[in-house]
Amino acid sequence: MLKDITIGQYFPGSSPLHRADPRVKIILTVMYIVGIFMAKNVWSFVFAVVFTAALVIISRIPAKTILRGMKPLIYVIAFTAIINIFWTKGEKPLVEWKFIHIYAEGLQFAALMIVRIIALLAGTGVVLTYTTSPIALTDGLERLLGPLKKIKIPVHEFSMMMTIALRFIPTLIEETDKIMSAQKARGASFDSGSLPQRAKALIPVMIPLFVSAFRRADDLAVAMECRCYRGDVGRTRMTELHMKPLDWILLAAFAAFIAVTVVINIFAPGFSI
Amino acid sequence: MSSIELQNINYIYSAGTPFEKAALTDVSVTFGGGVITGLIGHTGSGKSTLVQLMNGLMKPTSGTVLLDGKDIWAEPKKIRDVRFRVGLCFQYPEYQLFEESVMLDIAYGPKNMGLSDAEVKRRVADAVRFVGLDPSLMQKSPFDLSGGQKRRVAIAGIIAMEPEVLILDEPAAGLDPVGREEIFGGVRAFQRERNSTVIIVSHSMEDMARYSDELVVMDHGRVHMTGRTSEIFRRSGELTKVGLDVPQITRLMNILRNAGAEIPDDIFTVDRAAEELTKLLAERKG
Repeated sequence: MLKDITIGQYFPGSSPLHRADPRVKIILTVMYIVGIFMAKNVWSFVFAVVFTAALVIISRIPAKTILRGMKPLIYVIAFTAIINIFWTKGEKPLVEWKFIHIYAEGLQFAALMIVRIIALLAGTGVVLTYTTSPIALTDGLERLLGPLKKIKIPVHEFSMMMTIALRFIPTLIEETDKIMSAQKARGASFDSGSLPQRAKALIPVMIPLFVSAFRRADDLAVAMECRCYRGDVGRTRMTELHMKPLDWILLAAFAAFIAVTVVINIFAPGFSI
Repeated sequence: MSSIELQNINYIYSAGTPFEKAALTDVSVTFGGGVITGLIGHTGSGKSTLVQLMNGLMKPTSGTVLLDGKDIWAEPKKIRDVRFRVGLCFQYPEYQLFEESVMLDIAYGPKNMGLSDAEVKRRVADAVRFVGLDPSLMQKSPFDLSGGQKRRVAIAGIIAMEPEVLILDEPAAGLDPVGREEIFGGVRAFQRERNSTVIIVSHSMEDMARYSDELVVMDHGRVHMTGRTSEIFRRSGELTKVGLDVPQITRLMNILRNAGAEIPDDIFTVDRAAEELTKLLAERKG
């Protein structure tokens, strides 16, 4: 059924990562990505993996859910690995056959690349997408981008549009389900016939859906006006975001993550890229 | 005269996920031919799920749905035929109108049945008569009608399929008293003339008292009671327990009776109450 479609990957919970300020989480995500890309040798990679694992554990998102989320990217990961194995040049080839040369460096490089992509997906997932509801995310983005209002970019309007769109996706999906059932009860069939026939069968669904979407938009506009909505200027908020100790601790932890990665890069021996 | 029999029906939403929720538990009930049966129950008691199982829009997790003794899921490919025989009209059906004219919208169902043009025309005309629509509206766009008229067009769209079993989910919700009267009157006329089985889902005990012959009371996904409407409304204590009530006039009569007035316990409509009260007052005077 259409109802089973999930919007985004949000996985409700109450872990520290769920409770953190969405603005902070957006910054943490950027810091995390920087940290991961700074990792240069085997030991800093090991450290990054440990750090990512710790984040996953703290977020209390089941590892199964995260792995399932990576499934669609399996080809990208495989492709990256293959490219790196065959195209990296080293000192002594391990395999030499016609035009194929595989070097130890290539294998190591490919392995680190795979680790990097998996860590990136898992890390950004648990810091941001799995632990932040889409509404909190748009809210956080609006405030982080707030300064852009000074150069006349309508940040508030964009975020309001996003919020409303997100809010109405489930409603419209439910409505579509209902209309489809109603037309099925009148003998419509959506899953048989040729392609043009199927497209035509959707007309009795699309028209009522559009009519109701416009009606809802009208109702919402009136309801917003009744509550004196007139855009961004002078608007206060029900939930003011305040930096809590938790947010500072997280920021410090991620700063430390970058710093330690740099230190390991400089001092630890081993294969590096 | 067709009947629908549900045997040991279970229905579980999102089975096998953490969001699993049982909507119906071991429901066995028969909707017999030739009467109007009211299906009442608290919000979330499983009424809507139940009616969608009856015309094959949903498939029970376990149990069988028999239409005239035949399992409707025996041939899943022919489920559309079941939907023509068991007409289901959803709540707020006016939101599914889509055609250019009232006429074409009502004809949508019959046309899907593959009937001849003449037959479709006859059925549309009959359906329009049942719901009491003014024939001069036929060429208008359904979007130009009033709320009550739209509702009647939508109900006519189901009636035009001439189903053996007609199921209506809250057909009068949000209508004024005259509109309610007209819709229920039309449904009653259809039921009498075609001798079909009619099931009405409703929250209004007053409407049920006036228009239903039998009642099925649902509670938490189970069938709580079944019986003649007059029998069910005598059991006001049990109805209150499942979050329902008897008609307001019955409540008033119960209060009067408890206060010592000699009033029978089977008064469910205002007309009957007026009759009894006049009799009572006449006795006192005399």
